[in-house]
Amino acid sequence: MTNDGEKMKKALCAVISLLSVLTILVFWYMISWKNPELMPTPVETLKQMFEMIVNPTGVSLFEHVAASFTRVFIAYFSATLAGVLIGVAFGWSEIFRDFVHPIFELLRPIPPIAWIPIIVIWFGIGEVSKIAIVFIGAFVPIVVNTYSGMMQMDPIYEKAGKVIGANRKEMLLEIVIPASFPHILAGMKTALSQSWACVIAAEMIVAQKGLGYLIVRSMESGNMGNILISIFFISGISALLSYLFNKLEAIICPW
Amino acid sequence: MSEKAKVSAVGLTKKFDDLLVLDNISFDIAKGEFVCIVGPTGCGKTTFLNILSKIWPATSGELLIDGEKADPKKHNIAFAFQESSAFPWLTVEQNIRFGMEQKNLPKEIINERTEQMLELLELKEARNYFPRQISASMESRVVIGRSFALHPDLLLMDEPYAQLDIEFRYHLEDAVLKLSKMTGSTVIFVTHNIEEAVYLAERCIVLTNKPTTVKTIEKIDLPYPRDICSKEFTDIRDRITDYIKWW
Repeated sequence: MTNDGEKMKKALCAVISLLSVLTILVFWYMISWKNPELMPTPVETLKQMFEMIVNPTGVSLFEHVAASFTRVFIAYFSATLAGVLIGVAFGWSEIFRDFVHPIFELLRPIPPIAWIPIIVIWFGIGEVSKIAIVFIGAFVPIVVNTYSGMMQMDPIYEKAGKVIGANRKEMLLEIVIPASFPHILAGMKTALSQSWACVIAAEMIVAQKGLGYLIVRSMESGNMGNILISIFFISGISALLSYLFNKLEAIICPW
Repeated sequence: MSEKAKVSAVGLTKKFDDLLVLDNISFDIAKGEFVCIVGPTGCGKTTFLNILSKIWPATSGELLIDGEKADPKKHNIAFAFQESSAFPWLTVEQNIRFGMEQKNLPKEIINERTEQMLELLELKEARNYFPRQISASMESRVVIGRSFALHPDLLLMDEPYAQLDIEFRYHLEDAVLKLSKMTGSTVIFVTHNIEEAVYLAERCIVLTNKPTTVKTIEKIDLPYPRDICSKEFTDIRDRITDYIKWW
């Protein structure tokens, strides 16, 4: 395709994307025009968001965002560390796999939200319980992807390492883990969005601040504007993190 | 085993349960010799190489290097597989360095040999590329470079050019001959292409159908570079074809 052709195609894609956003805005306007008590208009929502930022009453919007973000940050990084270690152990040690895998397979299908009652009973309603719920949500996809990455490694790399004379440690660190790295990153990416879903769910049930808490409080007071603002923040932060993750992936996994 | 032999296979036998695949194969190869192995399709050539490389254990028999049991940790054994085995997470240069770094060779030697391989295999400009960014022919050269950079006691090659077109094959075959002379490595090259075997080998080991044994060993005394259209070349090629023929 010529350079001009490519430019035209890009411009067309941008116009289509813009149209899709405009379509949502038009629908939003139509709904809020027909049912003003159910949905504020986009402009009213923006005004309300501005007000929440400039003149907050009680906990500010940014404090809610920061609370959710901190929980995700701590849980996600602990889950990454633990998940990669356990996933590698599953893939590498037959004894460990035989011992732990049945338990893991039994617990894996349980949705993270289903753990909330047990965790609240065990850890109370403090920070630990919310972090623990997010941890469970992020941990599972990382373990599964790390393990399946190791299992799906092309056996030719193992053969090549064996012939070169790599010992078991070198084989793991210099061949198996690098070969599984794209899978590990894919698991981490899934875990990131899962973390956000879990933190919101946890905050909806047990929290004093956070975006999930803000949504529930707004629902109770019938404040649709606040609910929409919280949802936009969740979506915006997730999209931003996903974008940053893709950029990071291109740097640390360029192959 | 002859006294001059660098590599000796002594009664190599491989069974998968009751299926006898390799049956008591023995031969000697001198230091620096280039030997090709040919045989009918499915006769177990790849199995044979996997046993020689110690990827699979032999049911009985031994592979000896300098009279000692071959051990990948002790001896320099390299393998160029049929499928590309260039590590996708390493660049061209890192792939070539990889084997030498595993063997803990001194840094100066690693640098010197890496530059030599990049130069000889015309990979200098692609040194920082990843395997997915280069052509199949270049990827084959990366694996050849990684193998020869070790200056292996024994280099096993399993139809490494099977995926390439004829022009690249001859180009790479000349490169492999040059490298084998330069490094003094003993090479065992498996191929189903008899013309390729006659073009490369000093001796050609012809295998039988399963259970596989050595049918004959043909010495090829033609000077390099070989003329594939000469009468001597075609005579040898036809003779080896007759050994393999089952029709």
